[in-house]
Amino acid sequence: MSHPLTLIVLLPLAGFLLNGLFGNRLGKGFVSAVGCGLPILAFLTAIKCFFLLRAGGGAPLLDTTYTWASFGDSSFEVSFYFDVLSAVMVLIVTGVGSLIHVYSIGYMKEDASYARYFAYLNLFLFFMLLLVLGRSLLVLFVGWEGVGLASYLLIGFWFEDPDKARAGKKAFITNRVGDAGFLLGMFLLYQALGTLDADRINAAFMAPTLPAVSASVVGVLLFIGASGKSAQIPLHVWLPDAMAGPTPVSALIHAATMVTAGVYMVSRLSGIYMHAPEASAIIAAIGVLTAFFAATIAIAQNDIKKVLAYSTISQLGFMFVAAGVGAYGVAIFHLYTHAFFKACLFLGAGSVIHALGGEQDIRKMGGLARRIPVTFATFAIATAAIAGIPPLAGFFSKDEILWYAFASSSGGSPLLYAVAAVTALLTAFYMFRLLWLTFFGRSRMSAEVEHHVHESPLSMTGVLVVLAALSAIGGFLALPHFLEPLLPLPAAVPAFEHFETPLLVLSIAIAVLGLAAAAYIYSDDGQRAAGLRKRFAGLYQVLSNKYYVDELYDWLIGRPLYWISERIFLRLGDQKLIDGTLHGLADLGRRTAGGLSRVQNGSLHLYALLVLAGIIVSLAWSFRHG
Amino acid sequence: MLVATSLALFALGLLGVIVRRNVLIMLMCMELMLNGVNLSLVAFAQQAASAAGAVLVFLIFVVATAEIAIAIPIVLLLVRRRDALDIDAYADLRG
Amino acid sequence: MIETWLLWLFAATALAGAALMLVLQHPMRVALALIATMLSLAGVYALLGVHVIAIFQVLIYVGAVMVFMVYAIMLLDVRDRSFTRRFSRLLVPGVIAAVLFLAVIVHALWRALPAEGGGDGAGALFALQRFSVEFLNEYWLHFELVSVLLVAAVVAAVAVLEIGRKSRG
Repeated sequence: MSHPLTLIVLLPLAGFLLNGLFGNRLGKGFVSAVGCGLPILAFLTAIKCFFLLRAGGGAPLLDTTYTWASFGDSSFEVSFYFDVLSAVMVLIVTGVGSLIHVYSIGYMKEDASYARYFAYLNLFLFFMLLLVLGRSLLVLFVGWEGVGLASYLLIGFWFEDPDKARAGKKAFITNRVGDAGFLLGMFLLYQALGTLDADRINAAFMAPTLPAVSASVVGVLLFIGASGKSAQIPLHVWLPDAMAGPTPVSALIHAATMVTAGVYMVSRLSGIYMHAPEASAIIAAIGVLTAFFAATIAIAQNDIKKVLAYSTISQLGFMFVAAGVGAYGVAIFHLYTHAFFKACLFLGAGSVIHALGGEQDIRKMGGLARRIPVTFATFAIATAAIAGIPPLAGFFSKDEILWYAFASSSGGSPLLYAVAAVTALLTAFYMFRLLWLTFFGRSRMSAEVEHHVHESPLSMTGVLVVLAALSAIGGFLALPHFLEPLLPLPAAVPAFEHFETPLLVLSIAIAVLGLAAAAYIYSDDGQRAAGLRKRFAGLYQVLSNKYYVDELYDWLIGRPLYWISERIFLRLGDQKLIDGTLHGLADLGRRTAGGLSRVQNGSLHLYALLVLAGIIVSLAWSFRHG
Repeated sequence: MLVATSLALFALGLLGVIVRRNVLIMLMCMELMLNGVNLSLVAFAQQAASAAGAVLVFLIFVVATAEIAIAIPIVLLLVRRRDALDIDAYADLRG
Repeated sequence: MIETWLLWLFAATALAGAALMLVLQHPMRVALALIATMLSLAGVYALLGVHVIAIFQVLIYVGAVMVFMVYAIMLLDVRDRSFTRRFSRLLVPGVIAAVLFLAVIVHALWRALPAEGGGDGAGALFALQRFSVEFLNEYWLHFELVSVLLVAAVVAAVAVLEIGRKSRG
């Protein structure tokens, strides 16, 4: 096979076209086969490429497909680039993606728009693969926008409900705000370097003479784009609303793959960020703030998916903390483990919702551990993983992040570590709270819901088991070392080196402490929790209303824009100016015609007079040439 | 001098059409205009010693007669129907 | 000498009749003024030597056309608004326009007019015999066309009568 990378990208596109055009006519069997089979094929091709990479000693594979535009001696090509970083990303995207496709067979079985769903999912995969395999930032950006589009289509999948449609719009628009920064960064890069190929950009920045553009400015602009896509402050507002889409969508797009595109982009352009200490500091700061902020909101949410959404935002913040202190490999490692346990958590939540016939409020759950055992077991494993309990995957990645936050010589500091550690404690706490309220304790379900509780079909539980297993053992793959040739790890500050083991112990202690706290507060059927809520009523109000950020944006940005739109553009511009001009012209025509028609009043006298006047004028006119 | 007279006759006839209200009087003013033209034709024909002028005058006589022969019955019928000799009563082609 | 004097007299009479036409109230008096104008014009033609035309002026114009006109006036003795209010609304604009018209035409003709005189030499041209021979030899086509016009006029008159008869039941 001469163009394996192109094949990987095109397989999901074929799936989109087939299911989109013919899916409705060819039945659910066809749709499932095409919709899941093609991503699985892509995954197998990716494995093959991985072995090709290893056989070539790590030299990147390059697949130039097609020249998009060429002018003078520069050109934009669509080419695909496969190095160790791309390998990790492609395997995650196609692997976890295929699993989620299989899960969707069971979850979306009753839905009328089955074919449309799979078509959109495949479309998403196509764009995501463009994003991670693209060599040039331009191809990456096409993928970037494309996943935004797919996200919009899938969030608003049940568009008959206007709230869901609005959530899709919100996601897309918030992304676009970030994309403005991304575009500016790309313009600056192209102007300075004449190329948008990621590997060439990195080489240019690693060369002895730096290019004539401020790496920090470019870094910050690109990060604005990343924060839009990866839901960091202040562009995080779309992710909780995106839970309006089907749960597998939340798992795939808003947990495992799309939202990690920002982290991928920062790591891909590590050359720039290594020479941009200010930008990296900003990234780390925003990362840790977002992580803390989202974790505090998560402890006061009552919708199972919203808790997971804020958890995702928080974990993404952790990834950016790692990227901000120069440990890009560790960020990707956390991306990898997060994909497993977060997908498992979301799909498990989907299983719970499916079992309860649509209920999503954890205050109305409880006592499900024995009724849906497989879901419970997988959910519990994933929860332990995210909390950082060894030897599950999350422990390894999170511990590395905390270590580098403390000790990295390019940006680490005890303050950064402290905030991150508190956030880790909160993470453990709210995740165990979620687990407890959903599965343990007395059942708070209504009678008829309780009657229908049943375990999900094999297509769903099988996937859950696979993901849980990966969450358990995935951490043993030493990804940061695998990525080190491309993404070197920063050196630890010498003075802190002997803190490594104590911090390790501290991480374990944090996880256990979080578990214990949650168990203590929620184990007595909610009385202690209710008491705490009453004591900290104001704080609880702020947290459960997500710090009123949406309301702030609406007041600060939404209302003025709406006012301008209505007052200036609608009333003044459209109605008065444009319509007014049109009506005015028509009116002018009418009045002129009305005036002129008064000549024809039927009076012969007037006609005769006009004839005489005409004669006089013509004769007088002829004198000009007299 | 004769040409001046003919001009004056013509102008007076045209003025009469514009100014007088009675239909029949307007018709008579049109006859006056024709007479003015005739006079100018005769004057020019005499100066140029051309027979064409006289012939044209003769033809104008005939045409004027024919015209009057039709115009007056039309006016008669109209006036009988509408019972008004004022030309403003016939402003039907108002638009 | 006396001819010139008579010419001036007849021209003046013609103009006076025309002016009276515009001013008199009763249509019958207007008709009489017009007859006076026409007779004066016939005199002018005669003085100029075109006796043929003068005779025809009296015979046709006065004798047929004006008589017909007088009949019509006698038949339609309607005393409506046009009797009491002689002038239309466009009196003033009309007068102004007429004056302007005269000015423009005079200005146009001023330079173009050949000198007066060269007058009577053509008197012989208009003797009756000579005239009729010329007329029917050279201008026979015009003669024929005019007779067609007269036939058309007769047909039209009959048609008008028919319509009149039909409308009266």
